[in-house]
Amino acid sequence: MNCEVCQLNELEVEHFEIREVLRCILHTILFHRALGLVRPKDVDLELFEITYVQCGDVEVERKIDEKIDQFIDRVEKHPKKKNQICLSFYEVKNKQATWFTNKVEHLYWEQWYINLNVMQHPKTPSGKSHHSKLVVDPGVEAGGARRVALEASLRDVLFQIIKFVNEKKDHVPSIPNLEGFLFPYEITISRCT
Amino acid sequence: MASYHGNTRSGAPEIEQIITVIFAGCLHIILESRCPYVSFPKHSSEQILSFPFPSPSSSPSPPSSCSSSSIGLRDKWFKLAHRDCPAALENIGFSHQSNLEPMIVDVILVKRSGNWDLVNYSPKRGYARNLSGKEWYRCSSENDEFGCEIESEKIIERWVVQYESKQSGDNGGGVMGSNRATCKSSHELYKKSILLLRSLYATVRLLPAYKVFRDLISSAQIRAYNLGHRVSSFVEPFTSREEADMQSFVFPPLDTSCGRLCLSVVYFSSELDIISEPSTPISPQVIHEYVGSPMVEPLKRFTAVPVSQCSPSSSPFGRRHSWSYDLYRVSPSSVNPSPSPTYSESCASMPKQLSHRFPPASLRHHIPNETPPAHMKDPNFHEYWPSPTFSPSSSPSPSPPAYNPDSHILKALFGSESAPFGLSVSRLSPLASMPKNQLLPPSPSMGTCGHRVAKTDGYAGLYPTGSMVDKLFASAKEEAGKLSGVKQSSNSSSMKSFSRSPSRFSFQDNFDDSEFSGLLIPDDDDLPESSTRPDAAALFHLLEKAPPLRPDISITTNLVQDSKPVIEEISPESLLGESASLNFSSSEIESSKTTADAFTELVEYKKMKELLLKQCKGTQA
Repeated sequence: MNCEVCQLNELEVEHFEIREVLRCILHTILFHRALGLVRPKDVDLELFEITYVQCGDVEVERKIDEKIDQFIDRVEKHPKKKNQICLSFYEVKNKQATWFTNKVEHLYWEQWYINLNVMQHPKTPSGKSHHSKLVVDPGVEAGGARRVALEASLRDVLFQIIKFVNEKKDHVPSIPNLEGFLFPYEITISRCT
Repeated sequence: MASYHGNTRSGAPEIEQIITVIFAGCLHIILESRCPYVSFPKHSSEQILSFPFPSPSSSPSPPSSCSSSSIGLRDKWFKLAHRDCPAALENIGFSHQSNLEPMIVDVILVKRSGNWDLVNYSPKRGYARNLSGKEWYRCSSENDEFGCEIESEKIIERWVVQYESKQSGDNGGGVMGSNRATCKSSHELYKKSILLLRSLYATVRLLPAYKVFRDLISSAQIRAYNLGHRVSSFVEPFTSREEADMQSFVFPPLDTSCGRLCLSVVYFSSELDIISEPSTPISPQVIHEYVGSPMVEPLKRFTAVPVSQCSPSSSPFGRRHSWSYDLYRVSPSSVNPSPSPTYSESCASMPKQLSHRFPPASLRHHIPNETPPAHMKDPNFHEYWPSPTFSPSSSPSPSPPAYNPDSHILKALFGSESAPFGLSVSRLSPLASMPKNQLLPPSPSMGTCGHRVAKTDGYAGLYPTGSMVDKLFASAKEEAGKLSGVKQSSNSSSMKSFSRSPSRFSFQDNFDDSEFSGLLIPDDDDLPESSTRPDAAALFHLLEKAPPLRPDISITTNLVQDSKPVIEEISPESLLGESASLNFSSSEIESSKTTADAFTELVEYKKMKELLLKQCKGTQA
């Protein structure tokens, strides 16, 4: 089985936008891969005029928030480096339990790469207040335009997910093999190469 | 492959069944997020039975156990437990007769016009069938469900669900050819249909029309638009102009062994394109007949305070008190020679002695060299003089105006009109604009007067205008030295004049009647450089002869004749005790004066005014 890889478009986000953007993207992907009985939950983004759908599972929500926190921590520790979140769906193969190990093989059949470029604002010294004014004041209007652009980009990313999900369906495991309502998945944070 | 004939096909009944369910599922998901209906109760069995979902017993993946509820059945078909959609239930039975017929769902923005009858609102859903019998749509009659006339309809979205069968002789090329693997088994098709419906569920929430839907269902505000829908098999294509404004999104087709299922949408890309005008509540209406308005209470209009005539920007007030234009120069347009019965009521509170007790002489004494502020020109100011029984205080330090609890009585008498007085309160009332510590006499009546002026617009016009007032009091300037000066703000010429006649002002305050205050404060602009004492004397004499307005006014004619000593003798406390300012009853008002008397006074004062005007002009010449 081939592993389908989808590189989502890169999004330039502010630090405070990371959580909402990642939640939106991750939940949208998982909703399309939760082929069991789900009660969809509509969620309105606070920063953008976008409504996305969650699969309505508390455990999934918790897991996603946990990974987002890890991502934010990494971004704070390495602000100058681009980080990437990878959402992978796999099948469990060859469960081999031995005396010492319990080998479980994950056969990935789909991977989603979410690329975020977290913008860093230059820190101004406290003494140079006049300089900070020069930086902040013109950015008000630019910030609004950037927000609008980001919303459009985020919407494009969501449509990108929808297109990918509908274009490539053959690699998705059959539903009878589904345990639970959602295919096994994992979220990893890596550094962009 | 043999051509498809209807729903029954050999070799692919399950596929056809799934396709049929996909049609229904698509319709349900679309209308659920576009149709602002009230959800039907889930126990409405009629809708359940009408829902044409087939039995899942033969389906690959759906649960083998058949639920007694079709709603639950639908949920289990596509693993999507979402809310009911009555619109879909109503439409699905009518619209789609064959899988080969496309199902076109138009989402229509309906703009309303006319009155909205929300009280008698009842959903009026009707269904009409076109001539071909292939189109069922929600009736968009002349009135929508609110009973309002539909102004316009605009298709903001068009969803097309179409199943193209594989034609005979087609070897996979052409339209049906694709690199995609076809769903050769119902399992595959079922899985892919679930993915398709998941995508559709997410897509409908990403389009601009969803926001419109959310606004309609969530906002309590009355909107000028509504969302409707139309389900049909045949529609007129969009014009090129319409297509230019719209975007499209085509879902990757779902290939089956028997055909291909295509799902696409054409929509307006921006919510702004959808809603050209913001929703507005009931249009604002200007209420002309408010409580106290001249239209509702025309009688009260007589007692309303006119705007001071000193300012060209002042709004002309309808009626003026008879007192006013006899004494002060007023604009001819504002003169209302016909007293109304209300006048008798309003003036009944005024002491009858006021007419002749008008203290020009006293003011002459007490406010020698001051030009009254412009606001004092209002001839009707005096009619708001609640109590004449007070005397100016000799205290040099004015006390801040005290609140007059009876101010509401004044309002009741003279109208609570918020008539457009052109002058601001500060302009009209030096009392209101002056700092509190600069207000004259520490008598509560003084403060009351000032405060009253500040509180009610009615006082705006209490201040008389005209040079006659100036003359009246200019001569008393020298004799008003005992009265404390009133510091006046210098932001207006009217105020400047006030500062020159502090005693005058204090005298006014001591009278503690707005009707006097206007009289006592001459117009600054009109104050001639040389005012003649004999003219004022004549005026006072005339006032002396005038019948009193109010019997309980304790101010006697002595005040007019020799105001100085009398004023000095009267203490603020005595005035307060006697007058109780505004504590007069309506019966007293009625008994003290009649309309005829008022009219008589009116004529007299008119003559007096003319006389003074002539004298003033002669003096200036």
